[in-house]
Amino acid sequence: MSRFIDKPVAGAGIGLRSTHYQTIIENQPKVPWFEVLTENYFGDGGLPLHFLEKVRADYPVTLHGVGMSLGSADSLDRDYLARLKALAARIEPTYVSDHLAWISVDSRFVHDLLPLPYTEEALANFAAHVREAQDFLGRRLLIENPSSYMGYKETDMTEWEFLQELVVLTDCDILFDVNNVYVSGTNHGFDPIEYLHALPKGRVKEIHLAGYEEQNNYLFDTHGYRVHPPVWDLYQATIEYLGPIPTLIEWDNDIPPFETLLDEAGLAQRVLDSMDAAA
Amino acid sequence: MTGLHDMQAMVRDAVFETDTQNPALRAISEHIEPSEGMSSEEHVLVYRRAILGTLVRALGNIFPVGKQLLGEQFFDGMARRYVQETPSRSSDLANYGASFSEFIARFGPAAELPYLPDVARLEWYWHRAFHAADEVAMDPGSLSAVSAGDTGRIIFHLPVSASLISSDFPIHRIWAVNQQEWAGDTAIDLDEGGMYGMVWRRQYDMRIDTFDEPVWTFLNAVAARTCFGKMSESGIAGDLDTLLPRCVQRGWIAGFDLA
Repeated sequence: MSRFIDKPVAGAGIGLRSTHYQTIIENQPKVPWFEVLTENYFGDGGLPLHFLEKVRADYPVTLHGVGMSLGSADSLDRDYLARLKALAARIEPTYVSDHLAWISVDSRFVHDLLPLPYTEEALANFAAHVREAQDFLGRRLLIENPSSYMGYKETDMTEWEFLQELVVLTDCDILFDVNNVYVSGTNHGFDPIEYLHALPKGRVKEIHLAGYEEQNNYLFDTHGYRVHPPVWDLYQATIEYLGPIPTLIEWDNDIPPFETLLDEAGLAQRVLDSMDAAA
Repeated sequence: MTGLHDMQAMVRDAVFETDTQNPALRAISEHIEPSEGMSSEEHVLVYRRAILGTLVRALGNIFPVGKQLLGEQFFDGMARRYVQETPSRSSDLANYGASFSEFIARFGPAAELPYLPDVARLEWYWHRAFHAADEVAMDPGSLSAVSAGDTGRIIFHLPVSASLISSDFPIHRIWAVNQQEWAGDTAIDLDEGGMYGMVWRRQYDMRIDTFDEPVWTFLNAVAARTCFGKMSESGIAGDLDTLLPRCVQRGWIAGFDLA
């Protein structure tokens, strides 16, 4: 029997960060689930894994990665996949996700999510990697749309067409980041609603919300603020269109007291509840 | 049409280039859409800033004492140089920075602080120990199960989290007085001499233990997998009858196998 609570992921969860381990373990706050950054638990042991297992005993957990580099022209990193598989066996996450992006080329890692040129070549490469990873892990992946700050001239399709094709080719699911699509839409001049309406319904298993930062000429996704009003509007439209999909509050820079995250999650939960009430 | 690999290599080269003429930046910018208010190059520069910033911050997190000693501006400038010349070879950012102390030793502007490379080495070992595998302490009684004829074949192990470190400077003291919770005197006499020590983790307790030269010699022989018989014969580690129980009791020996 598992040492862990066995409950589906539902409602508004919170991204687990090390500054909040103690308060969560001591106070057992009313949060439906937590998401962790996969690579933070790739160590062989020590406190991070110890705390994660404690949290996992009481809450469902999802694994969210930035290191798979599915979009890279390199072959997939088998050592990475093996570590991920071992972590998944240890933690029993509800979902495992990574990004529509690349972070390495010629085995040199940039540790940032770089956008792809949306070409047939990039699609075939990405799909092959998703299939290989899913086969190796024995589970479906959720693929998240990235925030992006540059677009390539050589492109055969839009990002949402790329994602649609990817689902067909690999049977993967989608993690729809509402903040990212707002940021990218502003930076590249597309309509986020068009993106939303292109999403294959039933494939979006999780939603992300976070706060961006306004620069001179563009929006930058820092995950360092409360969710901005236009992103809340887009979230409302997203839930109305897709239904009450499990939603996560992400905060990675200038991490506030846990109460602030609870407050943000409460706002998301109200949107989800309004849909349940309307149904 | 530029293929996927070449496009990605061009982006990477533009991110890490040090040539102030920016030839790699100009090359990739040919392939990037400008937008209202931003040129192609400015779009790429968003990534250059973000990526160098991420890696510099990661080094600051692993080497907080180094950063404290140098000041943020100097440290970040030095870290940026390291990042530009040292590719990350692992998808796991926690593996980045292994050669930082060697870089500091070569970095002229930091030469005023001769102990800095050793402090950085100490911080790297600390970082490794923090993420090392969990381990149960050795049961001292397990040694008595080895038959008298086999004792010579015993090969002791250090804890899996352990790194041995020595320095001509009192780096353990420099490290300690630069911790946030340190409340005492921060003055250090560099002439107080060097140190022999081990950075490791007992359960979840992070430790920097220091010891004398005989222990250092013994633990280095252990780290080199020298069997007990050979240590006794060569007299390599002095008085084993007192050294061994002391090291086991302190947790510096975590287990053994037979050669």
